[in-house]
Amino acid sequence: MRIVVLAFANFREILGKKREMEIKEGATIGDLLGELAAANQPFRVAAFDDSGALRDYVLIMVNRKRVSPALELSRPLQDGDELAIFPPLAGG
Amino acid sequence: MIEITEEEIYLPEMIERARSKDAGAIVTFLGTVRDDGIEMLEVEAFREAALAELRAIEKEAMSRFSLKAVEVAHRTGSLAVGESIVAIVCSAGHRQEAFSGCRYIIDELKKRAPLWKKERGVRGERWVGHDEPAGK
Repeated sequence: MRIVVLAFANFREILGKKREMEIKEGATIGDLLGELAAANQPFRVAAFDDSGALRDYVLIMVNRKRVSPALELSRPLQDGDELAIFPPLAGG
Repeated sequence: MIEITEEEIYLPEMIERARSKDAGAIVTFLGTVRDDGIEMLEVEAFREAALAELRAIEKEAMSRFSLKAVEVAHRTGSLAVGESIVAIVCSAGHRQEAFSGCRYIIDELKKRAPLWKKERGVRGERWVGHDEPAGK
């Protein structure tokens, strides 16, 4: 299935603004982040700590709704989902 | 009107749009680029998600504080010291509601709207609001 991945701020600088990824049916949010990390060392260092846990400052939206990385990394993605990766907000 | 724009913000036009016969108070907030030893500020938005969040915040503020009108404009792109980053205009029957509504909107915007700032200065660049892990 195909997932649109958007990245903002420091994650945009590492991953680019937008890419489409082909991942296996039933893959989860965690699987997708893991694939990105395996293919991109700077992203792995920025997003995951030495024990392989997602860093607290990594924020995720799926289809423009915030998800809790602590609770929802095992949530399966659906074909056509849009997943956004960004650091803590700093508008205003 | 809620907008995210690369263009300069014109507060007088926003005030005129918020003016009405049943409003007795119009409160404005302008957030500007402070000189913390920076040369430029880069502002980035997840535009569609930020607009949706700002519209939700507007709706909440209208209902909680009985506002008559709300205007929000947030800049993106490169901003120089002193330029406006964000402008908020709230009109209400009385000043208390207008002040409270304006404060609610800027506080919620900072917490909820997907927007980011990068400072560029003589000492380098940094994204505001977090420290990136070493080794990147």
